[in-house]
Amino acid sequence: MNTLESALLAAHASRDTAALVTLYAQASEQAETADMAGFYLTHAYVFALELNHPQASELRQRLIDAGREEPLPPARAPSR
Amino acid sequence: MTNSPTDISLVRRPIEQAHGLPNAHYIDPAVFDEERQAVLFDNWAGLGVTADIPDIGDAVPVTFLGMPLLMVRDKLGEVRVFQNTCRHRGMILVEEPRKIEGAIRCPYHSWCYGTDGRLVSTPHVGGPGQNTHAGIDRALLGLIEIRSHIWMDVIFINVSGTAPAFEAANADLLARWAEFDKPLYHGGADSRFQLEVNCNWKLAVENYCESYHLPWVHPGLNSYSRLEDHYHIEAKELYSGQGTLVYRQLKGEDGNVFPDFEGLSDKWDTAAEYITVYPNVLLGVHRDHTFAIVLVPQGPERTVEHIHLYYAQPDTEADLRARNTAQWKEVFAEDVFVVEGMQKGRHGVQFDGGRFSPAMDGPTHLFHDWVAAQLERHRGLPLAAE
Repeated sequence: MNTLESALLAAHASRDTAALVTLYAQASEQAETADMAGFYLTHAYVFALELNHPQASELRQRLIDAGREEPLPPARAPSR
Repeated sequence: MTNSPTDISLVRRPIEQAHGLPNAHYIDPAVFDEERQAVLFDNWAGLGVTADIPDIGDAVPVTFLGMPLLMVRDKLGEVRVFQNTCRHRGMILVEEPRKIEGAIRCPYHSWCYGTDGRLVSTPHVGGPGQNTHAGIDRALLGLIEIRSHIWMDVIFINVSGTAPAFEAANADLLARWAEFDKPLYHGGADSRFQLEVNCNWKLAVENYCESYHLPWVHPGLNSYSRLEDHYHIEAKELYSGQGTLVYRQLKGEDGNVFPDFEGLSDKWDTAAEYITVYPNVLLGVHRDHTFAIVLVPQGPERTVEHIHLYYAQPDTEADLRARNTAQWKEVFAEDVFVVEGMQKGRHGVQFDGGRFSPAMDGPTHLFHDWVAAQLERHRGLPLAAE
């Protein structure tokens, strides 16, 4: 197990969502194939989305540019 | 009437002749389920209060009549109620009250929803690293939102989505209490409590609606609030309750009192009113405070009463608030043996629903009449009052 994998497992174990964003983004950059990069980038984005992380929009755009995601839908009005 | 499990034909007769709802409406699980739909889901039922979710991102899961719901304060500050169920595989989304920082992420496959219910991410739905698929239209797969309305800080919901708009359904009551349509400030942790009672939720309503029991069950009120100082509030097929003409403000040792709501008419100098917003919300208004009791049924014979007290200003004296809470807690606790006793009484197999005092039980009979009307509608029976 390499250092990045260990760090990811530790971040999952401690529920450190901010670290998961950073570490999955790193994993994406180190990936050997486009599909692996997309897989890790997806994880980075999902945790960024959950956390309202400042990089969420950028990560989403990278996925859209790679043909792996779509733009956000319009906001919904409350049901009254 | 092969589809009618109970005979409610006597309930909607004039009060002099009427009987109350039959025993089954208090003890039979099948009738409880019928009323769940006909009475509670098809109308505007109370679920909670907005004070439960004061800040943006606050999310509180609630099980209401077996249905998993999620109360959320969205990014724009709007209160929403969602079915707490992921649109993917039906996983419960939020198990404990918590703050939603960004999105609601399903803990199973991480489908993500905005606090407004939009489905915003479906990771790997088209295969690893591919987050879209032609067969998954996110626009159609947002969280199921339950219709909601806020009044007197209470979050009312219409699960079926078929009720008239809240303002239309309750227009008469909103007009009656228009003077209290202003900011209400929850007293905080010292101004909320719960009572768990072993009775059907309707018995709490029935007891709340009438003043007939006051001198017997709340003898402490006799010193200043006599039975003849009370009046019935009777809006047939809408709401009912009772009022008093001799409300006296709670006073501290220095004679200090809670601040009044601004702009109240003279009537409220000494009047107070206690009304049930059918089906399950009990409200009380006074010149200096209001309260809301949301009755959450737990089954045919068990109910949790969620009680909240509100004031006209955000900063009121803690000691006085504590005394006010204690005073109301004592009154409501005095009612517990009554509602639990009526529950036990309904296991008497020859009890016939009971009779009403034509002079004193009008508000309670109106509630029975309304419940019976909901059941007639649900059962597809001709409405007896029409």
